[in-house]
Amino acid sequence: MALDVGKFIKAPEYDVKIITRRDVFQASACEEDRFGDECLELSALIVLDAAEMKRMGLKDGTNVRLTSKWGSVVVRAGVSPREEQKGLGFMVNGPWVNALVSGETPDGIPAFKDIEANITISKDGITGIQELLLL
Amino acid sequence: MTEPITWTCTGCALLCEDIRVFIKDNRVEKVEHACLKGKARVYGCKHTAISTVDQKEVDVNNAISQAAKILERAKNPLLYGWSNSTSEAQVAGIELAQTLGACIDSTSSFCQGITISEIMNKSLPSCTLEEIKEKADVVVYWGADPMSSHPRHLSKYSYFPRGELRQRGYEEDRTAICIDVTESRTAKICKGLFFSIPPGGDAEFMRALMDGLDGRVPKLSYDFDVKRILELAAVLKKAEFGVIFAGLGMVYSIKEEFNLISKFMDTLNLFSNFFLIPMAGHFNMRGFNHNLHDKTGFIHRVGFTKNGPVSGVEYSVLEQLKHGTDAVMVVGSDPLASLPLSISRRLKDIPLILVDPCSNLTSRVADVTIPCGASGIEVGGTAVRMDGRKMDISPIVQGGGLSDEMVVRRIMEEVS
Repeated sequence: MALDVGKFIKAPEYDVKIITRRDVFQASACEEDRFGDECLELSALIVLDAAEMKRMGLKDGTNVRLTSKWGSVVVRAGVSPREEQKGLGFMVNGPWVNALVSGETPDGIPAFKDIEANITISKDGITGIQELLLL
Repeated sequence: MTEPITWTCTGCALLCEDIRVFIKDNRVEKVEHACLKGKARVYGCKHTAISTVDQKEVDVNNAISQAAKILERAKNPLLYGWSNSTSEAQVAGIELAQTLGACIDSTSSFCQGITISEIMNKSLPSCTLEEIKEKADVVVYWGADPMSSHPRHLSKYSYFPRGELRQRGYEEDRTAICIDVTESRTAKICKGLFFSIPPGGDAEFMRALMDGLDGRVPKLSYDFDVKRILELAAVLKKAEFGVIFAGLGMVYSIKEEFNLISKFMDTLNLFSNFFLIPMAGHFNMRGFNHNLHDKTGFIHRVGFTKNGPVSGVEYSVLEQLKHGTDAVMVVGSDPLASLPLSISRRLKDIPLILVDPCSNLTSRVADVTIPCGASGIEVGGTAVRMDGRKMDISPIVQGGGLSDEMVVRRIMEEVS
C-alpha cells in the first residue's frame, strides 16, 4: 500500500493581519436569520489579495485555519476583487473573527481592526457555532 | 394594493424617514425605497424570541419575575446593549440601573462613543445631514465605507443628491474623497481621490495633511507620494462646506491620541469650513449617549454608586465582563456575536438575561429570555440619528407582546 506522505507534511503557515469591516449583504442576511447558511457563508470568510493567495497556495473557496493568541477557527478564503495591501486579510464583523480578537482591552475597545494571526490550508470543515461558543 | 405608510427606518443610524411600507392584515406586504438592511429590518427575523427560564419555555410573567430575582440578588449587575432600543426604553434602563446600583453601558463603549463625546462637548464641530445635502461640496469618507454600512448615505445626503447650493449634484458640485486601507465600495466612486494608507497609519497621514495645509512639506514614515497629500490639502482648503465622515477605521486607529482629530479640524478650519459626522451604526446608539448624559453627565460606561453615578473604563462592558459583574441583562444586542469571544464566553458562567425580539447566539446561553416588540416595527418612540437629530419613529404593525421599555419597567416594579 502506498504511503500518503502528504498527511505527514505540515501545511505552511503565513502571517496575516486581519481587519474587520461591514458588509450590507452579510448584515441583512444575519438580521433575517442569524443561524442561516447565508449568514454563515458571508461571516466565516476571509478575503485576501489574489497574488497573496497564490503565494500562500490558496484557491478561491479553500478552507483555511486562522489562529491567533486568542483562538482558532476554520473559515473559507475568498479572493478580493481588487488589489489589496500585502499581508492583509478582511473579515466581516461576526463571531468567527471575534474568536481571534485580543481579549486585552485596556481602553475598553477591542482591536477589531488589528488582529495578528496566522493562516494555513485546512482540511477541517468551517467551525460551527456550537464549537465557537464552546457549548 | 393597500395605501402605503411612510415609515422611518430603524435599520441603521441614518433613520431614513422616506420609506414606504404596504401593510395587509397586520403584515408587511411590500417595502419601497429601503436599502437591503432596511428591508431586512422591516420584514423581521426568522427566529423570533420566546420566553424562557433555564432554556425552557415559560409564561412571559415568569420570565420577568425570574429576571427581577437575578438582578436583585446580584451584587454588581450590568445592563448592556440599548443601541437598538427607543430612547424611552433607554431612559427606563437608566432608571433601572440607578434603582439597582448597577453598571450600564452600550455598544457605543467600543464604537463611536468616543467621537460622539467630543461632539457633545463641542470639541469637534458637527452639522446635520440636511445641511450636508444642501451645502456640502467636499465630503471625506475616512476609515468609513457607507456603501457597505449605511447604504443610502451617499444617495440621500452626502454625494449624489442635488442640494440648495449643489444643483449640479455629484457630477460637478461635489468632490468625494476616501482615505482607507482598502479600496472599498465607497472608494470606487472617489474618482482618483482614494488614498490608500497602511493599517494604523491614520494619525501619521493626518499630521502630514496638517503639514500640507500649513504649507510645509509633509513627512511620512511609510511610502506615500507627498505630491498627492499636497493635492488633497489644496482640495480641502478650497471647500466651501466640507464634511469628514469618521468611520471606525479612523477612530480605532487614532483613539490613543484622539485630540489629534480636534487639532486637525482646527487646522482645516483656518482655511475652510469643515464639520465631522460620526458613522454611528445601530439606529439609536447616539440616543443612549444623549439620554445617559442628560441623567448622569456621562455618555456611557456608568456605575451607579452610593456616591452617585461615576464613569470610567472599569465600568465598560468589556472590563465588567472580565472582572466585575455577577449578572448581566442584555437588551437588543448579541454580545456573543459582536464582542471578542474570549471575553463574551464568560456570559455562560454568570446569570444572564436577554431581552430581544429575536433569538440570537446570546439567547442560546441565557438563563432567562424575554421577547419584546421590534423597535420601529411594533414599537414607536423617539431616537437620535447619527448627526444628533431627534427623530420620531412609529410602529407599522401591531405586536402581540410587550415593548422593551415595558419589560424593563415591569422588572423595575418587581425589584423596587
